[in-house]
Amino acid sequence: MKLELGYIPITNIEFAERSYVEGSTLYVSKEELSDVLLQDENISSVSFAIALPGDKTRITPVKDVIEPRVKVEGKGGMFPGVLSKVDIVGSGRTHVLKGAAVVTTGKIVGFQEGIIDMSGPGAEYTPFSKTCNLVLVITPKEGVVQHEHEHTVRMAGLRAAAYLGELARELEPETIETYEFLPLLESIERYPDLPRVGYVKMLQSQGLLHDTYVYGVDAKRTLPTLISPTEVMDGAIISGNCVSACDKNPTYVHQNNPIVHDLFKRHGKDLNFCAMIITNENVYLADKIRSSDRTAEICGYLKLDGVIISEEGFGNPDTDLMMNCRKISDKGIKTVVITDEYAGRDGSSQSLADADPSCDALVTGGNANEVITLPKMDKVIGTEAYVGIIAGGWDKNKAEDGTIQVELQAITGATSEVGFGYLSAR
Amino acid sequence: MVKEIERAGIPVVHICTITPISLTVGANRIVPAVAIPYPLGDPALSKDEEKQQRRKIVKTALKALSTEVSDQTVFDVE
Repeated sequence: MKLELGYIPITNIEFAERSYVEGSTLYVSKEELSDVLLQDENISSVSFAIALPGDKTRITPVKDVIEPRVKVEGKGGMFPGVLSKVDIVGSGRTHVLKGAAVVTTGKIVGFQEGIIDMSGPGAEYTPFSKTCNLVLVITPKEGVVQHEHEHTVRMAGLRAAAYLGELARELEPETIETYEFLPLLESIERYPDLPRVGYVKMLQSQGLLHDTYVYGVDAKRTLPTLISPTEVMDGAIISGNCVSACDKNPTYVHQNNPIVHDLFKRHGKDLNFCAMIITNENVYLADKIRSSDRTAEICGYLKLDGVIISEEGFGNPDTDLMMNCRKISDKGIKTVVITDEYAGRDGSSQSLADADPSCDALVTGGNANEVITLPKMDKVIGTEAYVGIIAGGWDKNKAEDGTIQVELQAITGATSEVGFGYLSAR
Repeated sequence: MVKEIERAGIPVVHICTITPISLTVGANRIVPAVAIPYPLGDPALSKDEEKQQRRKIVKTALKALSTEVSDQTVFDVE
């Protein structure tokens, strides 16, 4: 599969009478976008706000972040099986409004939603302080139950991203990047001397508002399978997650997975990136065993030399991570896992809920329990009413002067387990 | 908690869903539970069936408590 990503840089968003892109400014018509979103009869009202890098603005509680993209050539449309018809995506050309993002907020769905600060110390921890954000504040109708509410805000975010992405259809991209994912045999023929490297991407699928969808299918009802990374760039995987904000993968991160992009950079040079496998993280032990068995079987069947495994979330998925690591290692394949840590506020507790001797190479996204003080902001989009109850917050964590103390856990993307962030130890 | 109570000389059986974690942290008697969100229940079953299932798990746990073990042991529910 060969996919061209055409980037149209966006450095500003403004409201206007109609929606269009001129230069690097994205103009958005609130009326037009409202009409698109209010198709959903569970929405009582939606309002819009703009948050730009450097603004003294806080967005909370954040549900999802999505990048506006549009398919301009090749099969399928954006978010196949969810917004567009089910069809294989990942080939042709896709245009991207690079630098823009849709952020969904409003009344809380679950207790694991996040905070995005556009400036100050919190902004260092969230990658979405550097994007120009169009924020949707969604109010559901009375009587809409929790799982319907989650579905409603998830779909609203995707619809808004697809609507904005459509504005890029006729534009001339400033840069074009080409990603080619070859059939396995061809890849091995072309690079016979390079080590075969695969990527195992674990998807959060614990249920009860902790879900991920692949071509519209709930990932907990799937067996591990091969997928082209270009399909994922085209929105084949979306987040339906109210998992801890710091280490879940918002839809934006699926679209822009740094592991995939870095592997492509080295593909054909010092490694052969020839497999991407998606697997799940379910709540039954039998499912964990079955999925890790299948993942390892696929890796063994492909005779990979090395595998990178990324986790999503923490706690019991640490067991899925260790099972994947051990079973893939048992096939004689080298493994590296990427996770984050819940090592207590002083960092002295055990970092993961599970461990295995085969897991001897690990990259961490940081300690999610570390406490940070966030200053009072001039503007809050959404509401600070929930900062004491979201995961990473605690009762009375907001001081009289308006400062808020939270664990990094509460900050969207702070300890990303695919490395989608800007902080590092180097 | 399992280890501290055992340290006080009282045998403990750990009923939990993710038995590998229980093995990692060092429980000696382990009984598998149903699922993480509902360790001793199952919303897919009727109330009567659920009660039967819970009884089976508790009986297995009691049997485990009265069984001598020399190593970490997982007692499967029949």
